[in-house]
Amino acid sequence: MKKNAKDIRSKAFAEPCEAMLAKKGERTLNMSANPSFIQNGQYNIGHICTRLQCDQGLSNKTALRWLGAHGERVEWTFGDLEEKSSRFANVLQKTGFSAGDVFFIFLPKIPEVFSSFLGALKARVITGTLFSNFGEDALLDRLGDAKAKGILTRKSYLKKLLRIREKLPDLKFIILTDVPEHQAEDILSMPVLMQAASPSFETPLTTPDTPSVLHYTSGSTGKPKGVLHCHRSVLIQNRTATEVLHLQPDDIFWCTADHGWVTGTSYGIIAPWSMGITQVHFGGAYDAVEWFKILVEQRVTAWYTAPTALRMLMREEPATFSQFDLSKLRHVFSVGEPLNPEVISWGKKVLGHDIYDTWWQTETGAIMITNRPGLPIKPGSMGKPLTGIEAAIVSDKGEVLADNQQGNLCLRPGWDSMFISYFQHADVYRQKFRHGWYMTGDTANRDREGYYWFRGRSDDVINTAGHLVSPFEVESALLEVEGIAESGVIGAPDDLLWEKVVAFVALRKGYEWNRSLELKARLHVSNRVSTMATPQEFKVLENIPKNKSGKIMRRVLKAKYLGTDAGDVSTLDSI
Amino acid sequence: MKTAEKLNDIFRTVFENDEINICPEMTAGDIDGWDSLSHVNLILAVEEGFSIRFTERELLTFKNVGDLLRNIENKLGAAGS
Repeated sequence: MKKNAKDIRSKAFAEPCEAMLAKKGERTLNMSANPSFIQNGQYNIGHICTRLQCDQGLSNKTALRWLGAHGERVEWTFGDLEEKSSRFANVLQKTGFSAGDVFFIFLPKIPEVFSSFLGALKARVITGTLFSNFGEDALLDRLGDAKAKGILTRKSYLKKLLRIREKLPDLKFIILTDVPEHQAEDILSMPVLMQAASPSFETPLTTPDTPSVLHYTSGSTGKPKGVLHCHRSVLIQNRTATEVLHLQPDDIFWCTADHGWVTGTSYGIIAPWSMGITQVHFGGAYDAVEWFKILVEQRVTAWYTAPTALRMLMREEPATFSQFDLSKLRHVFSVGEPLNPEVISWGKKVLGHDIYDTWWQTETGAIMITNRPGLPIKPGSMGKPLTGIEAAIVSDKGEVLADNQQGNLCLRPGWDSMFISYFQHADVYRQKFRHGWYMTGDTANRDREGYYWFRGRSDDVINTAGHLVSPFEVESALLEVEGIAESGVIGAPDDLLWEKVVAFVALRKGYEWNRSLELKARLHVSNRVSTMATPQEFKVLENIPKNKSGKIMRRVLKAKYLGTDAGDVSTLDSI
Repeated sequence: MKTAEKLNDIFRTVFENDEINICPEMTAGDIDGWDSLSHVNLILAVEEGFSIRFTERELLTFKNVGDLLRNIENKLGAAGS
């Protein structure tokens, strides 16, 4: 039974991608055919980021410098990373994991994230990462859809998992990072397991098509989908670390992204360590002074962060930053939402640097269209495609549009880090490829000089502080709140977050909207979905506008919120 | 119920964690899930639970749980006097 399930999965994710490539005759966009770090056909990301670095003489070089919120500090060399990830690969093998099984990491940013992530990849286990603020509905959707076999977490998160455990028949093991003893046959102590595991692990030869990292991403309808990548993605992640981030051997790199986000794995783990770069990671939350102290005291030379964080820094008094000497900092990059020209101007003034905005998605696995050192910045622009990446603005009918015309932002399939499936949903995967293009879901235009300009999403997905939030998930959670009869959720422009989550609700008879009900609704969404999905604003309506077939007309809600024309409303069932 | 106990219950509800035991020195880094967004939930829950309101200026002065607790006690004391 297990074998069948796995076979079905392998087939499902392999087919569409390979069919697409077969049609084109070759993998036309592979610009990294023979990089030096691929030795003897070994594409395993875990191996490349640890053992290979040691083999190249970096055993004693610092790989990870982890800084805690209260001044704690953990420093691991590449030798340490190799040993700890090998132990964890052995732990997974001993607990019955085999290649193709699915394992998740549900932790805040602590050192164990890094050793377990690379260890699981060494064992060719499909490795998913989850935001630590996910609620039980969000966890159930993801763990259930992926048929996860195991999860690494900490004691304080255990209760959430135990509440949904019965609905997860495939989940065999919960491993806890912070208990000194096993709690039950299937609730195990990581310290005990690691102590007993061998420190050496011979990574099996891993082909480029072997599934590797799994990130769930939200759509405007249905449940979140698992974006599955393969070990080949390291080729382009490594290349962009050089060509875009301009990383050099002596750099100290700080990527502020959480590992639950694709940036946190592609550039907070894989890309820098695939080239032996020292990384700083901070386990605390945003704090302007603390962040600047890290930049200065850790002598960070390359910094990859997010527009929301930069906009929060912009709100600080300029004097806050005058005490800090940022002379070691060479480059600053940003990802997640479009970077406002004001932020770029602030960066020049306060940081003394241009801020390079990079555009990519969970599905692309690596930077695709980007500003970078050496390319003049047009403030507000996405920049130009990476060498070897073919982008275009395409109409709904599949015609490539002329410069300055707005349309669907598309990429020619076949780049090395292209996702290989929506896990378990090959049909949805196929729908993303039309007229020979991968449809990103973003709309944009290109100017005469080849720069791309983001214009919006072609669906209802909300981008809040760089996190994609599904209106469907929030609407579903709101309907579980006593007193709420209907809900409709949209993204509205926000100075800090780019978009904020706004919820429209219609109440059941006898209920009145008040602070108590608002608090219930907020807490319910936070604890069932995630804090990121929590509406920043609520609006109460008599009815939520729907079309004749019952579909929520978010377009109408958005127009109502913005005070703009809702367009054709002839199909509305209720206004 | 003492103010600190009631505040502790609010923390447990907001962060869905029955093992939370607040102390004055505690900050966001000490409680899993205490981020800027859940902080808004916490403040709303405190206001609702104690029937008080914080000003924006007050919110900026809270550096730890002790600051929050003192402010609540001051407001309750002022209301009762």
